[in-house]
Amino acid sequence: MLRHEVVIVGAGLAGQRAALAAVQAGRDVAVVTKLHPLRSHSGAAQGGINAAVGAEDSVDTHIYDTVKGSDYLGDQDAIEFFCREAGPTVVEMEHFGTIFSRSPDGALARRAFGGAGFPRTIYAADRTGLALLQALWERLSTERFTLYQEWDLTQVVVRDRRVQGIIAYDRHRGEFEEIAAKSVVIATGPAGRIYGRTTNAHSCTGDGLACAYDAGAYLKDMEFVQFHPTALLESGILITEGARGEGGILKNASGERFMTRYAPHVLELASRDVVSRAIVTEVAEGRGLSGPYGGYVHLELMHLGKEKVESRLQEICDYCRRFAGIDPVSEPIPVYPGQHYMMGGVGTNIHGETNVAGLYAVGEAACVSIHGANRLGGNSLLETLVFGKEAGGAAAKYALSAPATTLHATDLEPATAPMRAWSSRTEGEDPSTLRDEMQQTMDRYAGIYRTEADLLEGLRRIQVVKARFERVRVVDHSKVFNLNLTDAIEVGHMLELAEVILVGAYARTESRGAHSRVDFPKRDDVRWMKHTLAQKTREGPNLSYAPVAYTRWDPKERVY
Amino acid sequence: MSPETISAQFDVYRYDPSDGTPPHYQRYTLELTPHTPVLTALLRIRAELDPTLSLRYSCRSAICGSCAMQVNSKSRLACETHVGPEMERHGRVVVEPMRNQPVLRDLVVDQAPFWTQYDRIEPHLKLDPAHPMPEGKTTMMTPEQVDRFKETPRCIACAACFSACPAVEADPAFPGPMALAKLYRFVVDPRDGAHQDRLVRIQPNGLWLCLRCHLCTEACPKDVRPSERIRDLKEMAIAAQGATENGSRHVVGFKDNIVDGGLLNEMKLVRQTYGTFGMLGQVVQGLRIWRKKPEVIHKPHKIQGAEELARIYDALDTDAEAPK
Repeated sequence: MLRHEVVIVGAGLAGQRAALAAVQAGRDVAVVTKLHPLRSHSGAAQGGINAAVGAEDSVDTHIYDTVKGSDYLGDQDAIEFFCREAGPTVVEMEHFGTIFSRSPDGALARRAFGGAGFPRTIYAADRTGLALLQALWERLSTERFTLYQEWDLTQVVVRDRRVQGIIAYDRHRGEFEEIAAKSVVIATGPAGRIYGRTTNAHSCTGDGLACAYDAGAYLKDMEFVQFHPTALLESGILITEGARGEGGILKNASGERFMTRYAPHVLELASRDVVSRAIVTEVAEGRGLSGPYGGYVHLELMHLGKEKVESRLQEICDYCRRFAGIDPVSEPIPVYPGQHYMMGGVGTNIHGETNVAGLYAVGEAACVSIHGANRLGGNSLLETLVFGKEAGGAAAKYALSAPATTLHATDLEPATAPMRAWSSRTEGEDPSTLRDEMQQTMDRYAGIYRTEADLLEGLRRIQVVKARFERVRVVDHSKVFNLNLTDAIEVGHMLELAEVILVGAYARTESRGAHSRVDFPKRDDVRWMKHTLAQKTREGPNLSYAPVAYTRWDPKERVY
Repeated sequence: MSPETISAQFDVYRYDPSDGTPPHYQRYTLELTPHTPVLTALLRIRAELDPTLSLRYSCRSAICGSCAMQVNSKSRLACETHVGPEMERHGRVVVEPMRNQPVLRDLVVDQAPFWTQYDRIEPHLKLDPAHPMPEGKTTMMTPEQVDRFKETPRCIACAACFSACPAVEADPAFPGPMALAKLYRFVVDPRDGAHQDRLVRIQPNGLWLCLRCHLCTEACPKDVRPSERIRDLKEMAIAAQGATENGSRHVVGFKDNIVDGGLLNEMKLVRQTYGTFGMLGQVVQGLRIWRKKPEVIHKPHKIQGAEELARIYDALDTDAEAPK
């Protein structure tokens, strides 16, 4: 059995920043990831990181924009802390070596982003996530810690109401292993692959969310799923909001700039939920374009000129040319909304603490909540770093005073017996078939526009798939890189989370932020100004609710 | 965006150390649109035909660097290599693991050799204690200074260049294109305080082992152009330390030969590269060459127009020294 003081699961920006904080606090730290840290999905973030550092901008404006963007479901005390930390966080990342884009005077360049009062999104061309990930990994690698690379989390072990460690599957040796730990930080990112049409990487399967949920942690606000307005048709690859920030415009089939009808003041730079609904409405009402991959609209960059498009949106040019066979310098980009981000996650406070002693969560896997019902572009990279530092520090502090873990080598056998049984079945369900059915169900029944009937039908179907998962069969018996087995682990995790999303969305009879109920089109502050908390029981998710924290901003109607 | 499909044949390298069978190729056939990426096809093979096929993949948009492999003998990212053109050119799609790294299973390789070389260049900012970071604020860096990084910040560490590199294959001591492109990134970073030290330390068993074949630049999916950055590093290394390595002496000697008489003098070049004593070590090799091709050891003379060549070099040198 392996033993460390602090175990961090996930090595994207949130996990790495947490690891750095915990190492700097002097603890024995292990980082567990199912990828190489530099292959984490943080690296796919394109547009930028928000910090109100411009002379005309202010932290208060950033706070207000975030509160408004959240449709007043974000906790205002957390948002205030978050926005205040933005400036120092960006400075720190620059000092770590991040190569940001610069303005002619040598300061950090900034661009406009949706829902923001000022251009406050600091960027590195259109690969900001990659730039930050490289710099943070370069910095973290100078410290001493243990890296368990290409290991899949299968369980967070909780006993005596306290974290004892984790169980993970080593892809290289084909073995399950226990890692005893006093504190565990979940930094495993999102579960976007619950959906078929998603901008997320294949690895975004919510392993940490599902294991935390299984260990007794609350999942908070899971029904709030962000759909990015501009995913490339067919592949679902993200086309950054920066494309619109640089001046890109959206047009329907008749060449109309339709955002004039949905957000007359800020047009394409309205909040993501607003723009996504506009696109879906255009297509549903017959004003979109259509092709073999369904309805879509056009994102036009042609008027910006070759020089600007190719320098500021270099990766986007590559994506369009290589993946869609079109040139954004001379042709419109076919786009349609795709699942992009989960505002919900493991419920935490600003220190990453969950309701389980010793269990912490951070980044997209967590819900603090600063994004509320809808996240603003540029706020998630910031979130990973601000709260990564907090959670890593808090987990290190807890580990210092926590009693010794009671995890025992004999615990491994019974804990992993069900997973090992998957391989001994002679017949059963194929994990990738179950995954496809789950994705189709979620795309169809838990998308941008939701109704009671759809959500009930979606829930019924997911529960059928969940029941079939009980008989999942792994046909690959290899000890080395057995993806058939890791597929099954991931599908099992995602099915739990799909159910929580559906149950939460069904219960919430209002429309707020990214959660749009056709049958309840208005925001209902009297009944629903509250966070959803889901706890796992034998019968499925048990819902309770928690109040939203207010400081200075009263709810107003959200107009862009 | 035509939905018309083609029938594509995939010959995929298979190897599983735990089942005792030697490596072999397995054939799969899929109906798909020509625009389908090879990665999508491999994932369809896994889902529809054979769940035991193993590979690395994640983002499917050429940003995570997981799915580098050999597609019809070229090091490529499977996610951005389309099946149609491969079928047109080769009649089938042969998929194999990357080269220069031991195969763990099927298309999955052990990347330790690649990461060891990455670590060797000490890939992190090293501050000069005399120039600490400005307290509480970012450093200033002009867009021109950012341009000096060239395309190196785009590197996704996919190792396609490492796989394609014949110098890595010939000598495992060679850091490989990615590590050197990464080194370049630090050597041009105005925040880094160890430029000189980095340039000195990369020379023994390092920089000069590059064969200048440019296969790395051809293989790179992000247009990082490692071979061009290696060329830049060589220039900077000579500027920093003079020609003190066999490799740098060879380069400088080569140029001096041409400036002298417009012709390569192999005897002289060997002495310039290895020194008079070192030259003795090359005697057996030299005799062998002389027996086969005596004309290489020619009497030194000037070619016609040698002065013109010298003037071109002179102009190039002046140009290089001029501020840009």
